[in-house]
Amino acid sequence: MAFDWSEYRCNGLHDEMFIAPDVPRPSARALLAYLRGMSAKDLADRRLAAELAIKVMGITFTVYSEGKNVDRAWPFDLLPRVISKTEWERTERGLKQRANALNQFIQDLYGDQKIIKDKIVPAEVLADSVNFRPQCVGVKPKAGIWAHICGSDLVRDADGTLYVLEDNLRVPSGVSYMLENRAVTKRVWPEIFETTTILPVDDYPAQLYDTLAALSPRPGDSPNVVLLTPGIYNSAYFEHAYLAQQMGIELVEGTDLFVDNDDCVYMRTIYGPKRVDVIYRRIDDLFIDPEAFRADSILGCKGLMRAWIRGNVGLANAPGAGVADDKVIYAFVPKMIKYYLGEDAILPNVPSYLCMIDTQRDYVLANLDKLVVKPANESGGYGMMIGPRASAGERAKFAELIQQNPRNYMAQPTLNLSTGPTITDDGIEPRHLDLRPFILSRSESTYVTTGGLTRVALVKGSLVVNSSQGGGSKDTWVVDLDEDEPAPVIKTKAQLLVPGQSQTQSKSAALHGAKANR
Amino acid sequence: MLSRVAENLYWFGRYVQRAENTARLINVNANLMLDLPRRMTLGWGTLIEIVGSTARFKSLYDHATEENVVRYLMTDERNPASIRSSLHTAREILRTVRDTMPRETWERVNDVYFYVLERGDHSLARAPRQAFLQQAVSGTLLIYGVLTSNMSRDVGFQFLRIGTNIEQADMTTRILDVRTYSLLGIQPGADLSPFESIQWMSVLRSLTAYEMYRRHARVRVNGAGVLRFLLQNREFPRSVMFCLSTIFSTLPALPGNRKIERAIERTRALVRDANLDVLLSAEGQLPELMDEIQIGLVELHGALAETYFSSNT
Repeated sequence: MAFDWSEYRCNGLHDEMFIAPDVPRPSARALLAYLRGMSAKDLADRRLAAELAIKVMGITFTVYSEGKNVDRAWPFDLLPRVISKTEWERTERGLKQRANALNQFIQDLYGDQKIIKDKIVPAEVLADSVNFRPQCVGVKPKAGIWAHICGSDLVRDADGTLYVLEDNLRVPSGVSYMLENRAVTKRVWPEIFETTTILPVDDYPAQLYDTLAALSPRPGDSPNVVLLTPGIYNSAYFEHAYLAQQMGIELVEGTDLFVDNDDCVYMRTIYGPKRVDVIYRRIDDLFIDPEAFRADSILGCKGLMRAWIRGNVGLANAPGAGVADDKVIYAFVPKMIKYYLGEDAILPNVPSYLCMIDTQRDYVLANLDKLVVKPANESGGYGMMIGPRASAGERAKFAELIQQNPRNYMAQPTLNLSTGPTITDDGIEPRHLDLRPFILSRSESTYVTTGGLTRVALVKGSLVVNSSQGGGSKDTWVVDLDEDEPAPVIKTKAQLLVPGQSQTQSKSAALHGAKANR
Repeated sequence: MLSRVAENLYWFGRYVQRAENTARLINVNANLMLDLPRRMTLGWGTLIEIVGSTARFKSLYDHATEENVVRYLMTDERNPASIRSSLHTAREILRTVRDTMPRETWERVNDVYFYVLERGDHSLARAPRQAFLQQAVSGTLLIYGVLTSNMSRDVGFQFLRIGTNIEQADMTTRILDVRTYSLLGIQPGADLSPFESIQWMSVLRSLTAYEMYRRHARVRVNGAGVLRFLLQNREFPRSVMFCLSTIFSTLPALPGNRKIERAIERTRALVRDANLDVLLSAEGQLPELMDEIQIGLVELHGALAETYFSSNT
């Protein structure tokens, strides 16, 4: 028995696969035709195979609960999220524009602070920023780039507009899951790739390596690039190990490194000390160097800031880049784009109300039941309040928090996040989702991942997509429809491709047969 | 190669090898039990002696019954050298050095670890146990398979080899130590002598050496021959001599190692020069030799740790 897709309801929200009940978006048409041919059992089998693959491939994330770290299997939904290439190209331009402006902004803040002198961004925003690092003032990293790796979260509202929800410029994570999601899908569902032309994603590690290698202070063919991790108890340790492996670089911990009297960084090897040229650090600013920041940190390496300021080591992202990773500063990004680039923002911000501005604060306090209130510097979905779902008590608590520290809060209207069909225990149902693409900024070019990591709230009705709070993920397809013309061919192909009769299978069977006969 | 990574690779090799050896040991002992008459006291407690865990075992269990010993060696988390614990430790170590090995290694380790985790407690009884242990052994062999066919022969690989070989040399001497001790008491002509060769065969089998021994010796299985084969043979991969020579052969790929070289040479001389016929006839001599080899292995580990694993500043 196949799942009856005409039963699937989008409930007035924007659905990523359907325009209307049973009417797929053009980019998802071929995929749906294929899915219609699958029985519920086929689908359940593939789901099981995916779970098994994730376990065997060891794709995990770490959650800290009940006093110990638990390694959980990565929650993954088999039905991909589809984006058309045309839409993606525009989004990609918007993301590049944004990353460019943000980098200029950070360089400006640690330099002349023109944007503040010109009163585009109010001085008090900077004065009260917890991520502004006075130690970085006057530093100019290579090509003026501070946030080499940026992960921006995109969400789509009911009217179909794609908004930027936030920019993660400190140590954005998730890209390994984007790559692994594709690997899992390929492994358990190879036939599905024949329905559509899907752009590949696996270029990322090579692009990241190039981005990092370019930061080397010593010219040469093979700079010593390392990835600095806080260790296996970090929730993103899986990703650290994965990326180091994919790039073929050393995965180091703070204790593997030391800064010598020459202000250069070395790692301890079986051959003795070896100079380190570039560090992709996955440790927050405050912990990277007990000499410059938190003296009690045991994760970092003493003297790292000294080495970086002297230009003896490249750091990505640069310390202090997080100053732009602030939900209040976020509200000024469209103005930054105009200020530095003289362009209008291609991707809009979600309308934001800053509690530090009197009139906007009054509006927020009067509309707490309609708004989402967020602290300026939290990540992972912590410390926020979703007004329409909060109790009167919670709203009162947030009203007080806002009045005590208005600079630390901002609010946005509650978006009706778009949905995508997701396999649940009760059949296929719509679930809310977002998208995190990753942007690599380099002096000569900017690279954006093809699509990104789609996160999905697996709990019915939930808007929280963070994996630490019950979120899952999907493979994300950027689909090139032009490649698939003429359209009728796709349909025939899709019909041919009901499970068990795929072209690949019969082709490979024929090949094997031929070999055996030789 | 980071010092920390080198040390982790070394221990990864040791723990995987330990899991494999322990699985083989249990299976062979079970087979031996079936062949021996009931009145023979040689029981499961010997296995606890072999792995050198008597004190810990006694603190956890009252009697060395088959059930207790098997549980302790197979699935008991409180025994750091049980199959389950060894694989768990290997997996935790691999997590920190995954980037140095082919990706499939991680997958194969997960396969065998989850298999042991999920099936272990249901496989303690005789009937399912044999298949379970064979599966566990196959699982570890697949890990070596991936490493042997897919991993570059870089320095990391050398540390893995050192780890697996030092562990194997250790296990081989332990088995010889404990097994021969229980066998030596049997006088020729006593009515248990028909079973003597069965026991020596089981010594060979616990090191999967039976067939290789037969091809090599072509005579009836006897004590001196078995000992000579497992200690001195230069071609059988689980003999002490072979393991030491393999470790020695990795040294040219590694930096400054005079101290390690000397430690290996000393132990190799000990093994090479042993006159087994004499040792077998004189009481107390063989266990003494095994002790000396064990001390040699401890010194070798110490030299490795000092040269490569300790932090250099």
